[in-house]
Amino acid sequence: MISAPDVVAFTKEEEPEEPYDEFPALPEEYSVPLFPVTDHVHPWARLPSAKFSRDFILISEFSEQVGPQPLLTVPDDRKACGTFDLNYFSLRIMSVDYQASFVGHPPGSAYPKLNFVEDSKVVLGDSKEGAFAYVHHLTLYDLEARGFVRPFCMAYISADEHKIMLQFQQLSWEFSRASECLKTGNRKAFAHELEKKLKDLNYTRTVLHHQMELQKKSSEKGFYTTQAIEKANELANVEKSIIEHQDLLKQIRSYPYRKLKETDFQLFEAECVLDQTSILFPLEEQPEGHSESNCYTRRPSYTPKFIKAKAAKCFDKKLKTLEELCDVYFFNQTLDQLTRIEKTYRGDLCYLLTSQTDKALLKQQLITSFLFEDGSAWAEKLCEKPYDENSGTGLGVITPKSLEEPRSLNASASLDSYKSSVESVPIKMEQEVVEEDPEETKRTEISLYDNQEQAECLDTDMKGSISSGESIEVLRTEKSASLLNHSESQPCLQSFPSPQAVRSKAVSRRTISEDSIEVLSTCTSESLIPEDFKASYPSAINEEESYADNEEECGLQLPNFSLQDLIQEEDYSEKENVVPVDSACCIGKDSSYFLEPSTDQEHQYDDGDVVSSPPQPYKQLDQEVHVNFSVEDVAYSSESVTEGGPLHELDVNYLTSSGEASRVSLDEHSDSTSYRSGASTTSDRTPSPAHPSHLSERQKKRAGQNALRFIRQYPFAQPAIYSLLSGRTLLILGEKEAIVKKLVTALSIFVPSYDKTAKPVKQWVTSPLHIMDFQKWKLIGLQRVVSPIGSNMLHALNRYSRYVSVLDIDTKTLRCPLYKGTLLPRLADHRTQIKRGSTYYMHVQSILTQLCSKAFLYTFCHHLHLPISERESEETIEHRRLNFLTLHLGLANEDIKIVLYLAELLKMHYLQESGRRVQPVLRFDYVPSLLYKI
Amino acid sequence: MSALCPPPSPAVAKTQITLNGPSPLLAATFAYWDNILGPRVRHIWAPKSEQVILSDGEITFLANHTLNGEILRNAESGAIDVKFFVLAEKGVIIVSLIFDGKWNGDRSTYGLSIILPQAELSFYLPLHRVCVDRLTHIIRKGRIWMHKGQSIIPMLTGEVIPIMELLSSMKSHGVPEEIDINDTVLNDDDIGDSCHEDFLHNAISSHLQTCGCSVVVGSNAEKVNKVVQTLCLFLTPSERKCSRLCWTESSFKYESGLFVQGLLKDATGSFVLPFRQVLYAPYPATHIDVDVNTVKQMPPCHEHTYNQRRYMRSELAALWRATSDEEMALDSIIHTDESFTPDLNIFQDVLHRDTLVKSFLDQVFHLKPGLSFRSTFLAQFLLILHRKALTLIKYIEDETQKGEKPFKSLRSLKTDLDLAAEGDLSIVMALAEKIKPGLHSFIFGRSFYTSIQERDVLMAF
Repeated sequence: MISAPDVVAFTKEEEPEEPYDEFPALPEEYSVPLFPVTDHVHPWARLPSAKFSRDFILISEFSEQVGPQPLLTVPDDRKACGTFDLNYFSLRIMSVDYQASFVGHPPGSAYPKLNFVEDSKVVLGDSKEGAFAYVHHLTLYDLEARGFVRPFCMAYISADEHKIMLQFQQLSWEFSRASECLKTGNRKAFAHELEKKLKDLNYTRTVLHHQMELQKKSSEKGFYTTQAIEKANELANVEKSIIEHQDLLKQIRSYPYRKLKETDFQLFEAECVLDQTSILFPLEEQPEGHSESNCYTRRPSYTPKFIKAKAAKCFDKKLKTLEELCDVYFFNQTLDQLTRIEKTYRGDLCYLLTSQTDKALLKQQLITSFLFEDGSAWAEKLCEKPYDENSGTGLGVITPKSLEEPRSLNASASLDSYKSSVESVPIKMEQEVVEEDPEETKRTEISLYDNQEQAECLDTDMKGSISSGESIEVLRTEKSASLLNHSESQPCLQSFPSPQAVRSKAVSRRTISEDSIEVLSTCTSESLIPEDFKASYPSAINEEESYADNEEECGLQLPNFSLQDLIQEEDYSEKENVVPVDSACCIGKDSSYFLEPSTDQEHQYDDGDVVSSPPQPYKQLDQEVHVNFSVEDVAYSSESVTEGGPLHELDVNYLTSSGEASRVSLDEHSDSTSYRSGASTTSDRTPSPAHPSHLSERQKKRAGQNALRFIRQYPFAQPAIYSLLSGRTLLILGEKEAIVKKLVTALSIFVPSYDKTAKPVKQWVTSPLHIMDFQKWKLIGLQRVVSPIGSNMLHALNRYSRYVSVLDIDTKTLRCPLYKGTLLPRLADHRTQIKRGSTYYMHVQSILTQLCSKAFLYTFCHHLHLPISERESEETIEHRRLNFLTLHLGLANEDIKIVLYLAELLKMHYLQESGRRVQPVLRFDYVPSLLYKI
Repeated sequence: MSALCPPPSPAVAKTQITLNGPSPLLAATFAYWDNILGPRVRHIWAPKSEQVILSDGEITFLANHTLNGEILRNAESGAIDVKFFVLAEKGVIIVSLIFDGKWNGDRSTYGLSIILPQAELSFYLPLHRVCVDRLTHIIRKGRIWMHKGQSIIPMLTGEVIPIMELLSSMKSHGVPEEIDINDTVLNDDDIGDSCHEDFLHNAISSHLQTCGCSVVVGSNAEKVNKVVQTLCLFLTPSERKCSRLCWTESSFKYESGLFVQGLLKDATGSFVLPFRQVLYAPYPATHIDVDVNTVKQMPPCHEHTYNQRRYMRSELAALWRATSDEEMALDSIIHTDESFTPDLNIFQDVLHRDTLVKSFLDQVFHLKPGLSFRSTFLAQFLLILHRKALTLIKYIEDETQKGEKPFKSLRSLKTDLDLAAEGDLSIVMALAEKIKPGLHSFIFGRSFYTSIQERDVLMAF
C-alpha cells in the first residue's frame, strides 16, 4: 500500500520544479507566490536584498555643487549601514524637490523673499535594495547658497516597510522636532550671518564713500573719470545690497513664532534669554506679532571686511557644513534627538507595537499597575505626546468615571477600619522615627483601653485561648506605637472584623494551632526571646502534619486580627505564659512611651515590654462601624448600612459620598486600638535606596534569566515565590554579596509593590534585622557573617522565622510555609522549556497580570463585600467571598491568599491615591513553616 | 497654486463619480513615465462636487510629482511599490503605487495615486492597508490586461470607485476611536440581558480567533451596531477606525479588509457575501448573525492565506488566458477555470473552545456597570492577551532561532505558556499574527501544505 506521503514524494520526483504550478503560462512577475513562508522567508526574515543590518538615520543634502550627497548617519557607525549604497539612496530620496518652494525674486517684488516652507514627508522604498525610508525634507537658509536655500533631508531607513507606515505619525512628530531644532538654529545663524554681511556692506559703503570723496578732491577738473563712475556704480550696488540684506534680516526676524509653538518644542529658551540684548541693527519697523527677533543679537568683536565688487564663482566657494549652518548648540541638540529616535524605533516592530499597546493599556489601569509594572508606564502619562491620540495603540474606552483618579472620590469616606481578608495580622508601622510628645502619647494611650466592652471581650477570649499553648508575637516598636499618635490626624488601617465571627474563629484556631502569637516590645535583632529559640522545626514531616491539621480544621475561615487583638492576647500571654525577656530587646522599656492604662491592663506595661496574650477577637462594635475593606466601601456610610436594602442597588454615586458618622466613629475606634512602644531604632535603620521599580530591558532580561535559573535549580522555588506573592517577607541569606544580590534582583520580579515609588526590596543587608524591616521590605538579601554577631543574627532569624521565609543559598535550604496551589506551577515550573530570560520575564508578567486582574475583580466586585440584606451576617458574607474566590476565580488553597494579599494592597493603594495615608502592614501567619532542602 | 499649475493636456481623461456622502478623497490619478516628456497623467477620477478643492491642473501637477525621481526606479521584477507623501505646502497627502508594465510592447513605469486633504491623515492612516491591498491587486490584474494591449483604465475604474465609496462610508459610519462602554453589551446588568450568554461568548471568542475581523449581519440596525461596538472593544483604536457601523437606512456593501463591519439584511432576510472579496481580506473573518444568534468562522490564518493566494493565482492566470472582453468580466473568471474549484463553504462552526473569554465574561458582569470598573477589567484582559501573544512570539523566536529552525514543540508551548485549551491558543496566535505577520504559516503552514498536497495527489488518482 502506498501511503500519502509516499505519493507526495513520488509526484515531487516527477515534477521537481513546480509540482503545483497550475498555470505555467502566467509569468511569475505578474503572479503572487503561493506559499507565503518558505525555507528562506519566515516572520523574522529580513529581505534578502537588504544590505544593512539595522535601522539607521541618514541626513542628506542636495548640494548645488555636487548634487545629492549623504552627510552623516545616526548611529555614526559603518556597521549600521553595512554595504548599503548611501550615495545612491541619497540620490533617490533627494532627486525631487518635494517642497517646490519658491525663494528668490518673486514677480512684482523688488527684493528676494524668504519663503518659510513647511517640511514635507515622504515614505518610499527601494524593493531591490530592501530599503524603505521615512524621509523628512527641510530647507535651511544660507546666504551664500543659490536662492539662499540649501535643501536637506533626514531619512529613517529600515528594511521593514510595515514598521515605517505603522509608526508614521510618531516618526513624523519626532522628526519634526529634530527639523524644528535645525531650522531654529539655522535661522539664528542666518540672521547672524546677515548681520555680519550688513556690517561688511556698511563698512564697504563707508570705504567707497571715502574713496569717492578722495577722487572728487583729486579730480581738479571736476570731470567724472571712469574709475569714479565705477565707484559710483559699486556704491549704488552696495546700497542696494544693504537694503536687500536689511529686508532679509527683517524677514528672518519675523519668522512666525506660532510654528514653534505648534511643535511643542522649546529647546531654545535659554539661548534666547541670553541673547536678549540690543539688536545690532535696530529696525525702524519691528515686525508685528511674535517673532524670533530676540534670538538674533549683537555678536561682539566682529571686524567688518571690505567686500569686493565681484564675488567668487559658484564652484570656488566652500559651502558651509551643516554644523555651521545651524549653530553648534542646535546641531548637537538635533543629533541627540535623532539618536533618541534611532534608539526608540530600532528593533523588531512587534516589540515596538506591543510596548506601545502595553503603555496605552496600563494607563487605563493605574489602580492595579503599581503592583508589578514598570514605573515608566505611569511616568509617561504625565508627558504624553501629541501623537499618542492617533497612534492607534491605546485602548480608548469611554467610561463614565475613571478609576484612575481615585482622588475624585471623597477622601473623607472612612476606611480606617477594615477587615483584613488575609490570614495574617496586620500591624501598621511608621517608616520613620517620629519624636512624639510623651504627654500626648499618654493621653492617646489612655483612650486605648477605656472601653469597658473591650475588657469584657478580652475576658471572653482569654478563656477561649486557654487551651492553646500558643501566643501571638507582636514586636512592639516605636514605629508601631507612633501610629497611635497619628490616629487622629491621619487615617490608619485597622482590622475590625465581625466580632462574633472573629471571636469564634480565633478561639477555634488557637485551640488547634501549635503556633504562637506574641507581642514583643523591641526591635533590635538582639532582642531574642528564649522561647523563640525553641521554636525550631524538628522536621518537615511534623510541620506538614501540623499544617494539614490546621488547614482541615480552619479551612479558609481564617481569623483576622487587629492590633487590638494582639494587645489583648499580649495581656493573656503575660498571665498564662510569662515570657522571659532578653534584656537586649527591652529598649522599649522606655517608660515614657508606655502609658498607664486605666484598667487592669496597666500593670502589663509596667512589668515589661514583652507580653503575650491569646488572640482576641474584636469585641462587638456598632454595626455602623463595621466596614469591610473594599473600595466600594470607601463611601459606604454607616447610614447606608443601617438603612437596609441591598447595598449594591444604591446610587452609583455612593463611591463619592461619605458618611460623616461612620468616619467619626471609625476614627474613634482606630484611636482606641492604637498602640505605642518605646523602642528606638538603631542608626542603620535609615531608609536605604529602594529597589527601583523601573528596570531596563537588559535588567529585565537578566532578572528573568536568573529567575529561570532559580526555578530550575531549586525544587522549592514555588513556595519561595508564594511567600513573596502572599506578602511574607523572604530573606535570602548568603555569604557572597554578588550571589545574594543577583538572586534578590531575580526574585524581585515577583514582589508586589506598595505604591508607585519602588519595590519593597532590600538587596543587601549586613546589619542585624528587626521586625520593622519586615514591614518595610518584602525581599531582603542578608549577609551571613561567620562571627558571634552572625550567630546572633541566625538566632534572630530563627525567632523571626514565623514571620519570614528564609532562603539560605549557602546551604540551599528554604524555610517557609507549604504551597499547594495551582497557580504557581504555571509561573514557576522547573520543567519549563522557556529558554531565555527575557521570554520568561514576559511570561511572568503575563501571569502576574492575570493575578492582578483577579485581585481587582475581588476588590471591586460590588456585591461581594457588603451585606445584601440587613440580616445578613458576617459569616454569610465571608462565605460568599470564599465561594467567589473558589468558584468564580477558580482559586484553591494558597492561591487564595495571594489574591487576598494583592487585593489588600490594591485597597491600600486606592486609599493612598484618594488622599489618605496608609502604611503597609506587618503580616505574619499562623501557618507553620517547612524546611525544604535540595 | 493654480497659477503655478498649467492646465492638463486635453489628452487627460477625467471620470467624475457621484457618491452618496461626502468624499474624503480629492482625486485618483493614473500617470506614466514618458521617455521623452517625463511624467504624464493619463486619467483622473474625481468625486462629483460643487466645491472644487483641487483643480485639474493641480491634480495633474501632484500626479506628475509622484513619478518624479522614478527614473531611478530600482525595483524587483513585478514589484508594486508604495510611496506616501504628506505635502504640507500643498495641504495634501498622496498615496502612490508605482509599478512597471508593458503596453504595446513598451516597458514603462506607471503610478496609480489617490489624493486626500492633509486634514484626513489620521482618518486615512488606519485604512492605508485596505486601500493599498485592494489597489495592488487591481494593478496586478490591470498589468496583465495592459500586457495584452488593452486599456487598464476600465479595470482601475472598477476598483477606484469602490474605494471612494468605502472612504465615504467610513467617513459617515466609521466606528469612533473611543467607544462608550455604555453602548455595548458589556454594560448590561447581567450576562444574557442583551444576547444569549453562549452566543456572546462564541462571538467574542471567534472574533478574537479571527484576528479581530468580524462581519455582523442582522435585520435590526441597532442590535447589529451594539454587537459591532462590543466587538470593537477588543480592538485597538486604530483597528476601530478601520471598522464600520451598520447603515440604518440601507445596507452597505461588504468591504474587504475592514476589521468589524455591520451589515443590514435585505427585505428577504438575507445578506449575500461576495466570496472573492471575503477571501481577499487580509485576515479570516467571523460571521455573526444577530437574528438567529449564529457564529461561524473562516479557517485560521495560514489556511486563509493559502486559499487566498491560490485563488489569486487562479484569477490572474485565468485573466492571462482570457482572450475576449467577456472572459475578462470580473465574476466569471474563476468559474471558467477548471483546474481550481474553491471551497465555497468557508464559514464553519467554531470548533475551539477557550477559557480566556469564557472566564472574562463570567467575571466582568460581577463588576458594577456604569462605573469604570468594567473598562479597567477589560483593559486588563486585553493586556493579558497582548502579553501572552508577545510571550508566544518570543517563545517561538527562541525555539527556532528566529525562524532558522522549524518549530517542533507546540505541546511544550501550550504547557509552558498555559495555553492548553485550543481556543486559547487560537486567540493568542491570532493576536500574535497581527503583531508578527506570517506566524501561522510558519508554525502550521508546513504540515498544512503537506496535507493539501497529499489530498490533491490522492484526488488526482
